[in-house]
Amino acid sequence: MNRSDGHFDEMTGLLYLEGQLDAGHASEVSAHLGSCAACSELLHALETEGVWLREALTVDDESIPASVVAAPERGAAHWGWIAAFGLGLGGAYTLWSGFVEPSLAQASSAGFTQGNLLTTLFFTGAFWKGWDAMRSLMEFMAMATLGTVAIWLLRKQLQRFTAIAFVAGALASALMIPQPVAAADMERGDPAYTLPAGQEVKTDLIVVANRAQIDGDVDGDLIVMSQYVTVNGHVKGDILGFGQEIRVNGPVDGNVRAWCQTITLNSAVAKNVMVWSQVVELDTKATVGGTATIGTQVAQLNGQIEGDVLGGGQVVGIDGTMGHDVTIRADRLNIGPTAEIKGQTKYVGGKAPEISSGAKLASPPIVSTVKRGPDYSQGAYYWHQVMFWGASFLLGLAILLVAPGFFFDIEQACKKMGPAVGFGALFLFATPIAAIIICATIVGLSVGIPLLLLYAISVYAAHIFIAAWLGEKLIGAGVGVGPAIARLALGLLILRGLGMLPYLGPVVGLLVAMWGMGALVLALHRKISPPSAVAA
Amino acid sequence: MDRQKTIGTMSDADLAQVLSQVRAGDNDAWGELYRQYAPAIFRFCRRLLPAREDAEDATTEIFMKVRQKLGTYDSSRPFTAWLYKVASNHCWDTLRRRRIRQDLETGDLDTLPLEHPDPSQLERLQAEHTSKEVRTGLARLPDRARMALVLRYYAEMSYDEIADTLGVRRAFVGVLLLRARHQLRDALSGSGNENFQKANAGGAR
Repeated sequence: MNRSDGHFDEMTGLLYLEGQLDAGHASEVSAHLGSCAACSELLHALETEGVWLREALTVDDESIPASVVAAPERGAAHWGWIAAFGLGLGGAYTLWSGFVEPSLAQASSAGFTQGNLLTTLFFTGAFWKGWDAMRSLMEFMAMATLGTVAIWLLRKQLQRFTAIAFVAGALASALMIPQPVAAADMERGDPAYTLPAGQEVKTDLIVVANRAQIDGDVDGDLIVMSQYVTVNGHVKGDILGFGQEIRVNGPVDGNVRAWCQTITLNSAVAKNVMVWSQVVELDTKATVGGTATIGTQVAQLNGQIEGDVLGGGQVVGIDGTMGHDVTIRADRLNIGPTAEIKGQTKYVGGKAPEISSGAKLASPPIVSTVKRGPDYSQGAYYWHQVMFWGASFLLGLAILLVAPGFFFDIEQACKKMGPAVGFGALFLFATPIAAIIICATIVGLSVGIPLLLLYAISVYAAHIFIAAWLGEKLIGAGVGVGPAIARLALGLLILRGLGMLPYLGPVVGLLVAMWGMGALVLALHRKISPPSAVAA
Repeated sequence: MDRQKTIGTMSDADLAQVLSQVRAGDNDAWGELYRQYAPAIFRFCRRLLPAREDAEDATTEIFMKVRQKLGTYDSSRPFTAWLYKVASNHCWDTLRRRRIRQDLETGDLDTLPLEHPDPSQLERLQAEHTSKEVRTGLARLPDRARMALVLRYYAEMSYDEIADTLGVRRAFVGVLLLRARHQLRDALSGSGNENFQKANAGGAR
């Protein structure tokens, strides 16, 4: 017997009744039952309870709904799938016609002759030179398609966190591989690094220092991460710079790509310039053999640029010679008396451009002035809102189909609004800071950049989960993917509507970003941490 | 265990013929199969899922899966067992997606009472509650407890099948069933409401 008082316990009784005890144990119980009234009574009560349960469960006192009585037609697709297909196509179309195609057209008009914008941005620069063989967008799309198919095939495994970690790890590894670190001279300044004049580095040079001064020559690419960077020597490859202040005084045979606060070019750059900087200054002595792509607050272009210029910012000033078209989107554009633009000038901005009478323009500029903030009177504004909705829906649909379990987990986590918003606020602001700190080391770069990418995706995807939660609040929690798609579509529509409200829209957007991101973090946390025991 | 009392009235020979016709793409045979088994599967889902609409959706989705997977059905095994297996997996997946389960096997083991329940109290409980009340009480149980009772006492699944569906060790199925019975008794008697609600709040999420 299982108990010290000579009787068997309830568990043993149940297992005996259900025929789950081994023969020896069962005969022991049988023998005991013959002599123990209490145990017999218990066994009888348990048996009666089993019968009672069966009767209660099997009794038919509820009508069968008509939808169940009628057999579904062969091959009839669920309405949710039909809706999803239609909405997905709409989303893809709006994404293409609203974002991709105009971007490609703009890039093409700005003279990106090597290919399209994606190619130029990702596959041509020094940082991505390992991908040189994969130059066309078609190849990129083919790889993306293969990746999607692989994810679809592995979707069940993807619902397990280990698989997600594996995929994330593979992604990080993939981003690491193209970096041409192996054949580079890596230097760490403490706190400053100087390549003396007369010295030449025969390979690529990677410098991490508080202050970097390159007076000598670099035979390959120069990759530099430093607060102050001065390049006086001759760089025969590309310059890729991250820093506060970058000054290039020596000739560069390749491209210059930079993310910094201030950049000053005083020399000849044989190929293209692509900079994201608060202040960009192109000195009168500077020449750029290719195109210039500039994202800035203030830019002053006094030098000579052979190719096209594509610029965006607050104030852009041109006082140099521009060999081809100039396309500027800024608050203000000043074209000075010594400026010469040999191609077409296009300007989109808040104020009319100031063009000096001495400036030489090959053709009259095409000017469009735009109001700051949304223009509710324009149909284009509402069309853009539809496109934004389509893009969000498409991404939401992809997540829902690839990892439905994870999607529903995040949707559930949205119900805990307080913790979700709290965690979301923390991660929304802390993650980019952490990623930038991680990026401060060359080794950390391969972790920091994927982290920033994942962060950007998470911030964007956050509103999708809130939309799903909102949809559930409004139309209830039907089972399956079909109703989930309907919830998502409706929720996104409402969030998009709220986002259009003046003044309130940005606040709602921030709250939704924090809330959704927090829910994502909570869902991930639950997946990682082991479940805890529950007291009855 | 006899599953026929909750499902279908077709003879084995008729069922075998209908299944082979469905495999061959016969729409009428599919309609016949659906009409025979859909009500029982709906009732099964109704006992597991929180809302009637959920059970309707689930029934449709289960039969779509059945049609897709019919090629994998081993005809040497009872069709109803296979059908309930597909249905229970679907419902369990649905519940898992909705709720984040935190209950552990060991946690359940620790909470089993060792004393004999009072047989007279059990009999009184059974006499005082209608089938509808029992099902209402069942709906308030944590997902896994409800699943265990329905799989065993409605679908007449074996301990092995229940263990496989719920992803627990076979030896734990008895514990799960006994604990579920206790929770149902508490739910019906109202005496254990506080503890029960605690378990529901923590265990079912």
